[in-house]
Amino acid sequence: MEQYIQPFIKVCESVFQEFCRTEVNAGRVYFVSKDEYVTKWDISGIIGLSGEATGAVAISMKDTTAFKVTKTLTGKEHKHIDSDVTDAVGEIINIIAGNVKKEFEEELRIKISLPTIVKGVAHTIVWPTEKTRIICIPFSIFSDQELCLSIAVAPANK
Amino acid sequence: MKTILVVDDSHIMRNIVKNIFSDLKIPCQFLEAANGKIALQLLENNKVNLIFLDWNMPEMDGMEFLKRAKSMPDYKDTPVVMVTSEAARYSVIEALQNGAADYIVKPINEKVFKEKISELDF
Repeated sequence: MEQYIQPFIKVCESVFQEFCRTEVNAGRVYFVSKDEYVTKWDISGIIGLSGEATGAVAISMKDTTAFKVTKTLTGKEHKHIDSDVTDAVGEIINIIAGNVKKEFEEELRIKISLPTIVKGVAHTIVWPTEKTRIICIPFSIFSDQELCLSIAVAPANK
Repeated sequence: MKTILVVDDSHIMRNIVKNIFSDLKIPCQFLEAANGKIALQLLENNKVNLIFLDWNMPEMDGMEFLKRAKSMPDYKDTPVVMVTSEAARYSVIEALQNGAADYIVKPINEKVFKEKISELDF
């Protein structure tokens, strides 16, 4: 599992820097089991992984963070989870997943799904993999806010 | 006046592409589509000079659209520039083998985007 962490950190930091002109900094990574996974977030963007590795990757954040992230892309204020906000969160996780594919291109051919958006206070994500632990990578953003990149991935033949 | 078709299921990305392209001061009008299926309809009803194309989209993805567009006599020579998060080398090769004129990986680097467009004949 650990071999998957650094590429995701590198890509997430790069995507926020280049796409949103915003710095994010990874915090201490932790692992949870599928049954223990509970979010404290308001919105998540999720991409399924298939091919030679299966699983999913999700980005989750509070709505206030999502509004500020969206503003970096649209230039507009957002006060509700509207179509701009869902579009922004979906596109960010799409770009992260697409770029992570490149990090693994020598070892694994991975297909990514279209993004799915889940919203709601403390919503739940049902993870597709049965046994794999979920990697949670917290990132600080906008100096006093945070978001989380969660990854459940395993080689398809295991 | 050139007609530029921007195909992406993200309206934010379509706006970003339009805004960067507009910086080039090329007189043009934009057409937009959220998937390949809608984009094909626009090709049938308009004369498009340049296409920016995302890969992962609902209904019809960018690769299917690319193959179909390249099989249309009116569009076999129209440049199609992939603008996609699919960053792996094998994806780039697949797109170029199917007729894409160039390949830009998201997030878009504005400088690279403009350099690539300035090299296109459309």
